[in-house]
Amino acid sequence: MKRILLLRGAELIVFACLATIPLLVVNPYALGLLTLLAIYGILLIGLDVTVGYLGQVNLGHVAFLGLGAYAAGLAVTRFGLGMGPALVAAMGVGLVLGSLLALPALRLEGPQFALATLSFAALSTTALNELEGITGGAQGLSLSRPQILGHVLTPSLFYWLCMALLAVVWMLMRNLLASQWGRAFEALRDSPIATDAMGVGTYRHKVAAFALGSSLGGLAGGLYAFNFEYLQPQSFTYDLMIILLLGVVLGGRKSLWGAFVGASVIVLLPNLLSNRHLFQIFSGLGFALALGAGLRGLVKKTTRPFQALAPVVAMGILVVGGLLVENTENWRKAIFALMLFSVVVGLPEGLMGFLSIFLAKLFRVPHAPLPVPTDIETLLPPHAADGSPLLVLEDLKRHFGGVRAVDGLSLTIRSGTIHGLIGPNGSGKSTVVNVISGLYTPSSGRILLRGAVLPSGSLYRVSKAGVARTFQNLQLFGELTALENVMVALRGVYRSPLPLVLLGLARPEERRAQADALCLLDRIGLKDQALTKAKDLTYGAQRFLEVARALARKPDLLILDEPAAGLAHPDVVQLIEIIRRVHRRGISILLIEHHMDVVSELCDVVTVLDGGKVIAEGTPDEVKRDPKVVEAYLGQPAGPSEPSLGGAEPLPA
Amino acid sequence: MNASIIGQMAVSGALMGLVYALIAYGFQLTYATSKSINFGQGELVMISAFFSLTLTNLGLPYWAMVPGGLLFGAIMGLVVERAGVRLALEQKSEGWILLSIIIGLFFFSAAENIWGRDDRPFPTPISADPIHVLGVDVTRLELSVAVGVLGIMGLIELFKRSTLLGKAFEAVSADRDAAELMGISATRTVMLSYGLSGAVAALAGILVSPITTVGPTMATALILKAFSVAVVAGLDSGFGVVLIGMFLGALESLSSFYLGSGWREAPGLVLLILALAVRPMGVFGKAVIRKV
Amino acid sequence: MLQVEDLHAGYGASEVLTGTTLSVKKGTLVALIGANGAGKTTTMRAISGSLKPGRGRVVLDGQEVQGLDASRIARLGLAHAPEGRKVFGPLSVEDNLLLGAYSRLPRFFGFRTKAQADLNRVYDLFPRLRDRARQASGTLSGGEQQMLAIGRALMARPKVMLLDEPSMGLAPVIVQEVFRTIRRLKEEGITLLLVEQFAKSALEVADYAYVMEHGRIAVEGTPDELSRNERVIAAYLG
Repeated sequence: MKRILLLRGAELIVFACLATIPLLVVNPYALGLLTLLAIYGILLIGLDVTVGYLGQVNLGHVAFLGLGAYAAGLAVTRFGLGMGPALVAAMGVGLVLGSLLALPALRLEGPQFALATLSFAALSTTALNELEGITGGAQGLSLSRPQILGHVLTPSLFYWLCMALLAVVWMLMRNLLASQWGRAFEALRDSPIATDAMGVGTYRHKVAAFALGSSLGGLAGGLYAFNFEYLQPQSFTYDLMIILLLGVVLGGRKSLWGAFVGASVIVLLPNLLSNRHLFQIFSGLGFALALGAGLRGLVKKTTRPFQALAPVVAMGILVVGGLLVENTENWRKAIFALMLFSVVVGLPEGLMGFLSIFLAKLFRVPHAPLPVPTDIETLLPPHAADGSPLLVLEDLKRHFGGVRAVDGLSLTIRSGTIHGLIGPNGSGKSTVVNVISGLYTPSSGRILLRGAVLPSGSLYRVSKAGVARTFQNLQLFGELTALENVMVALRGVYRSPLPLVLLGLARPEERRAQADALCLLDRIGLKDQALTKAKDLTYGAQRFLEVARALARKPDLLILDEPAAGLAHPDVVQLIEIIRRVHRRGISILLIEHHMDVVSELCDVVTVLDGGKVIAEGTPDEVKRDPKVVEAYLGQPAGPSEPSLGGAEPLPA
Repeated sequence: MNASIIGQMAVSGALMGLVYALIAYGFQLTYATSKSINFGQGELVMISAFFSLTLTNLGLPYWAMVPGGLLFGAIMGLVVERAGVRLALEQKSEGWILLSIIIGLFFFSAAENIWGRDDRPFPTPISADPIHVLGVDVTRLELSVAVGVLGIMGLIELFKRSTLLGKAFEAVSADRDAAELMGISATRTVMLSYGLSGAVAALAGILVSPITTVGPTMATALILKAFSVAVVAGLDSGFGVVLIGMFLGALESLSSFYLGSGWREAPGLVLLILALAVRPMGVFGKAVIRKV
Repeated sequence: MLQVEDLHAGYGASEVLTGTTLSVKKGTLVALIGANGAGKTTTMRAISGSLKPGRGRVVLDGQEVQGLDASRIARLGLAHAPEGRKVFGPLSVEDNLLLGAYSRLPRFFGFRTKAQADLNRVYDLFPRLRDRARQASGTLSGGEQQMLAIGRALMARPKVMLLDEPSMGLAPVIVQEVFRTIRRLKEEGITLLLVEQFAKSALEVADYAYVMEHGRIAVEGTPDELSRNERVIAAYLG
């Protein structure tokens, strides 16, 4: 409670202060700056969605500002619409064009995505320039602020409108990012593969995030148009885009406050540059900060030498330049570049990121108490396990070029059993798992789940069909807490429609999700570490967490891909117990493992693979004694006299 | 419409397209060794061209200026690697995207102030008189572009194939970890790739400046097209960039003629977005298997 | 020639090696066996520098090399033929071999003549590679790639050769051929550290062996001693 009061309190105070400004401040220039602050605030919140939450470099955002601005401008000049409809049009243009761009662009990663957005921005500028008939081209477009309800919008009134909209956007985004949507955005940044595998469509969420960001860009554009009452395509340039990125990175990614701080910096920047004296003070301060932080990092060995020194050099150049150069305006791009460089290298989490750690230590606010865990019987009622075939693989094959990783595999997993899959290195076990779970498509053959063909080639669709999995190389959502990792995967809990979520009315659902996730964490013994970030957990805990997360899918079939890999013996014992508990719920399990003790303890049936084919199948004991299996693991003796390993023929793990 | 005029435009455009191909080739060099490219490559082309212009204005004859310009480009490439790329690679992040953009911005600003914002002519001893080849008129200057582009690409490919260092380059591109086990320093190889990429960019600037003049805006004009070529062909497509470059150049020339010069950029951009949507690995590129 | 003392290494949160100690005397073949997941390959990678150890020492011919870059350690005389062979697919067989000797040869020209003697030696050992000298190594069969990987390591004239799971993914007949080759290497006096999944084959060729379990050495001894040791069986069964 205290935490919420503190955070909301801070927000209220700031907005209240901002609201009273027109009553106190008479200087129209200052008011204009603050209006611009609100507009850029909305713009940067939109940009932060892709840059902060999705972690991508978005070079197209400035295009949505421009397109939104022109949409609003044209709505007023050509169609005679009022301000409200014009702003809606601006948002709509941002939303639609953003979605259209997102659909192809978000299939790409990193650099290609940046290129696609850059091209879009260039294309937009070209279109705005060339479609002179509509936009007025390079000549520009003039418009006047329409009245609202018969009132002319004075600068003060317009300011209040912008601030009000900022407050609304702030509230809606806060609610959205605190819900399963926000978690999904962060999850897909940390592990797109696991996000799909947990039934949260990576692609659709990326598109939604991008469209959301661009609609906010459009809205900001509309306000921009009404602010300046004159538009030209040359305003929406690559340079401005860099400034926007500077704002987001400097202010702090993944943070509404960061967007606000960043917007403040952007708005104040031109003044900083025109006043040489101010600039020198500022650059001196920056240099001192960089030096301090750099030395601290070097001494404490928290940063690499380059990371500590490069910002100092960059800020040093800024200081020296400020003293030597006549007209700092001419060098504005270089100044931005040096500032942005220092921040990206030396302060990657931005001002807010830095401040929030500082403030958290100062105020020591405890987290809101967690709800009582749901009862396991309610959450995972036992399945009927009747031994009927659940998953059937028919002559499955998967080739990679000339390599036949899986070469004609037929297998039946019966409902309610724990089915082991073992084999030496390179036998094809992982490939089988990846084909079943949908990471790869089969080269030939079929997979049937409960008699129906299982969708292939899509982690998302296989997950939806009722198959959940863990990963041999952990694919946790590192930046999310243990609780949040499980919450992302929960099935059947998030039913509230989006508008309710935006308005913050989906709280009970959120509490229920927390309770459900806590129940699962309890089952694996991690209830006390629910609020620890996944990347900070011990290795054993991380392995268990993956199991709990997969369980949140309430699957019919759970695939465990080498869950004991790298575990110390006590953890292996605990893992066996966890798997037993899962099994008692009637969930069928496909267990890929090397640890023979785990396999022997748990499995009802074991299939042995070698060279992509089945070489034996039966109970663990039967399989251990099969000479073909022994040969596959131990190898054939080459000479007549070979040392034998003990009396019986053991099966190595 | 006169077919020979269309042919004329197409050929001229295709020759210009070779410049985009050359810059795209530079991208391939760095992408091969480090999976990264310099987003500020356009600025690198531009400052190398300006530097070369300065060398000429200082009295250096053309054929002495060229290696000087190439050396400058190579050094700038190394600067980009050290300041913008290496840290991100060590952290296994994609921070180099933003950092290379930033460095490019710095170069742009420096160039604006050192050399001014106007476009300047670039002198060259190669004549701009047209000669008649296969039914179209091309200038010797335009042909020199083709010779320069294909020449340097050929030289670098020769280097890769016949020197041990070149083979080491290919090894790091194929498997970085295994190459390290042979005693090949992957970091040094990445440096080499950025140096070569910078030199290539400088040559692109030297070749194109006599035709288009040198100016700060040349950076942005060239770079998007070079990106289009690189992406549409595929970042590991080798000489595929030449074909795509010529195609794009011809397409641009024709669309400028039919749609007006403002729309010149459009086909390349649309092609880029489409290509990324339909075939992200490029027309000539290889698909990547995801590993879990 | 090679000493490893109390080596700790891992990936991210997981510490795989929890204090491994072993040594390889000059001219001997030492085998490192153990169940999958025990840490054998991690040990190799920590020795050759592909992985930086958290704690412990690696001493190569009297010189401490832990923490150095892999390329540096390679230039000091350690050749590592990695798990999965990792030949340079697009490059020819001969190019792969030449690169094996990278640290010794001139970088630009004249490297082929300087390497000719070593190339011949490798081709004599693996005649099939001579037949395929100009072929792209990615098109070779698994067994041929393994020969190439071993030949590549030999080209470095290393002080110590690390062979990581040479039999992985190969048909039994080819595996036998690989081990015949390993025996020949032994005869030539090469110092070898061999990691193998197939305990029997490894123990046949080794002068000394270490059995790994859960990131450290559980048992060590001569193959004779180990074949009678029940702890070895337990290490595999877990």
